Amino acid sequence: MNTILEVKNVTKAYETKVALDDVSLQVEKGCVFGLLGPNGAGKTTLIRMINQITKPDKGEILFNGEPLKEKHIQHVGYLPEERGLYKKMKVGEEALYLARLKGMSSTQARKSLDYWFEKFSISDWYNKKVQELSKGMQQKVQFITTVMHSPQLLIFDEPFSGFDPLNADLLKNEILELRDKGATIIFSTHNMESVEQICDNIVLINSSHKVLEGSVKEVKQRFKKGEFELIINSEFSNDLLTDGVELLGEKSENDTSIIRLKIEKGKNADLLSHILKTTDIISYKEILPSMNEIFIQTIKSTK
Amino acid sequence: MNKLLIIIKREYLSKVKKKSFFVLTILGPILMSLLIVLPVVLKENVSKTYTVMVVDSTPKTVINGDTIAFFDGKFVSNEKVIYSYGKDIEKAQNMLRNDEVDMVLEIVKSNDKVPIKTFSYFADNEPSLEAKEDVQQQVKQIFKNSVLMVNYDMSKEDIAIVNDPQIESYITDIRTGERSNSEMKMVLGAILGIMIYFFLFFFGGQIMRSVGEEKTSRIVEVLVSSVKSIYLLFGKIIAVALVGLTQLGLWIVLTLLLMGGLKVAQPDWFAVQPQEKIELNERVFTANKIDTLNIDTSPANEAIQELQSINFPLILSMFLVYFLLGYLLYGTLFGAVGSLLDEDSDASQFSLPITVPLIFAIVCLPMIMQDPSSSLSQWLSIIPFTSPMIMLVRIPYGVAVWQIVVSVVLLILTVIASLFVATKIYRSGILMYGKQVKYKDLFKWIKKKEN
Repeated sequence: MNTILEVKNVTKAYETKVALDDVSLQVEKGCVFGLLGPNGAGKTTLIRMINQITKPDKGEILFNGEPLKEKHIQHVGYLPEERGLYKKMKVGEEALYLARLKGMSSTQARKSLDYWFEKFSISDWYNKKVQELSKGMQQKVQFITTVMHSPQLLIFDEPFSGFDPLNADLLKNEILELRDKGATIIFSTHNMESVEQICDNIVLINSSHKVLEGSVKEVKQRFKKGEFELIINSEFSNDLLTDGVELLGEKSENDTSIIRLKIEKGKNADLLSHILKTTDIISYKEILPSMNEIFIQTIKSTK
Repeated sequence: MNKLLIIIKREYLSKVKKKSFFVLTILGPILMSLLIVLPVVLKENVSKTYTVMVVDSTPKTVINGDTIAFFDGKFVSNEKVIYSYGKDIEKAQNMLRNDEVDMVLEIVKSNDKVPIKTFSYFADNEPSLEAKEDVQQQVKQIFKNSVLMVNYDMSKEDIAIVNDPQIESYITDIRTGERSNSEMKMVLGAILGIMIYFFLFFFGGQIMRSVGEEKTSRIVEVLVSSVKSIYLLFGKIIAVALVGLTQLGLWIVLTLLLMGGLKVAQPDWFAVQPQEKIELNERVFTANKIDTLNIDTSPANEAIQELQSINFPLILSMFLVYFLLGYLLYGTLFGAVGSLLDEDSDASQFSLPITVPLIFAIVCLPMIMQDPSSSLSQWLSIIPFTSPMIMLVRIPYGVAVWQIVVSVVLLILTVIASLFVATKIYRSGILMYGKQVKYKDLFKWIKKKEN
């Protein structure tokens, strides 16, 4: 069983609009799964259904092959985009409370709390009230409350918002570490840079429909346009180009030139052998589209 | 179930640890002690002697050739009240207007079970509770004794009536025509009604704020991903009820401690009371055997005797029933309103329909006290949203069993309906942000089968 979560033909409508229309997707165990889409696409609705906060009108959601039930709640950890804690509660008590609501026993929760507080070196915050902490500190506490019960499936909704770069990096490494330990992560974000860095697979949802899915590598391959970057050890001249090659741009500095080209399929070898006759090639690589470009292009084309 | 307990525990502890809980816990017993001690202390200083003119309009009876008046000339003056007698009610009332006497008491014959009624009039200042009770007490005693003079051979039922005659009495302000009545029953009913009103408002408000806090702090989204939203609401409702009981318990214990402390510090404030109690018990005992006239002028005795005529087990159980049902009704509704709170929009449009019946009931309270069996009183004590307060005002006077049954059944049905409606509003409301909720939306949420 390699699929931890399977969403099958799920439809959900609210009073005024359809939030999800016949959406299906699978999340493989042990991967970081990017759930992408513009605001209002239906991501939060899907996440709420996985958390059993709401139920689908049609279709079903399977967790480890079983229809989603109350007992699965303890295997899911959820960090919502809009975060919050009881402000007047002490940090330690609050973390224990939330862990116990996830079904941990007192002693388990206490053990896990000690582990995480030590890991984030915040053990001396235990008796502080949440409202005494800075926003970044509160985010750390919130992250811990999400992972304390060692869930199999973690859902992070825009986890990096509100973190400074240092803490965002810390968080990113934690997420990857959790994945390496066997947890599956659903990662919902607009931040395409972070998607490239940590996601294995993605699904793109737009206006309640799934419009794109696949692994990050595969999607990039699919969207590539045959563009290449070539760096040579001489000044650029048009004589270097062969048939089926289009110049997109070039920049020369001293004795090196960086050239961007669009090359038709199967014409690479001709071009390269032609260039090598006159000059040395320092580097030659294919330019893959960024996830950001893919995101924008897909959303625009499905509108 | 386990999770519900965890929620209740947190809600309970978080409220008990609040400063406001601490302050109320300290203030409550101090206020209660003041209420108990002040009248005792003040009584010593502000004691005025009232003059009462008695007009006996009951027909005279002839026994063995002697014409005997039932009440005329039989009252015993004491340091609190000085009695005089008049023949003509008009004249007496004129004297009252000219401040020659403080109060006029007219006793008339009636066709009720207890064949007399009393009408009292006062002018500028309403007679003190003490004076009024002295009058009532003496009327009862004289009635007993006079009846015994006329008729020794009574049925058991009549003896019971004579033994504890429930004489209807009306006290009227002669200048305004307004009726006043400060009988114990009335005070008790009003206190119970106001207590319920206060509890419903206070605890309902706590539930509302607590729900709203979870929503605006956004923690609710994490919570509902761990537990069913209905647990959150019920956990709160149960916890707040427990907090209330804790507070009440602490008040009672602390008040007793405080009173005990005062007793040690100021023994003379309390010295009178145990003595009076003993006298009272002796007197009640002898009066029960229809003994000789033995007037006791202590107001405390009178009050306690009146209390004895009130059905306390019934009142207490009704208080608990109405408090519990009223709390469930208003608690769930306030919880639902709390789920509509948002930073941007206030939920006053939704809390208004809940607070209006509460306030309406308390505004009507004086009218209910004036006439506990009027049709307004009856309706308000049956309509579920006002019945928890109004029925308690009426119960000390005696209410037909069918009315209590109808009122409680209606209230239970309403509680069930409100649980249904409130949980549906709650589970949708807590996840609704940044959108001005309208009544139309609420109906849609209620109609929805599942979230």
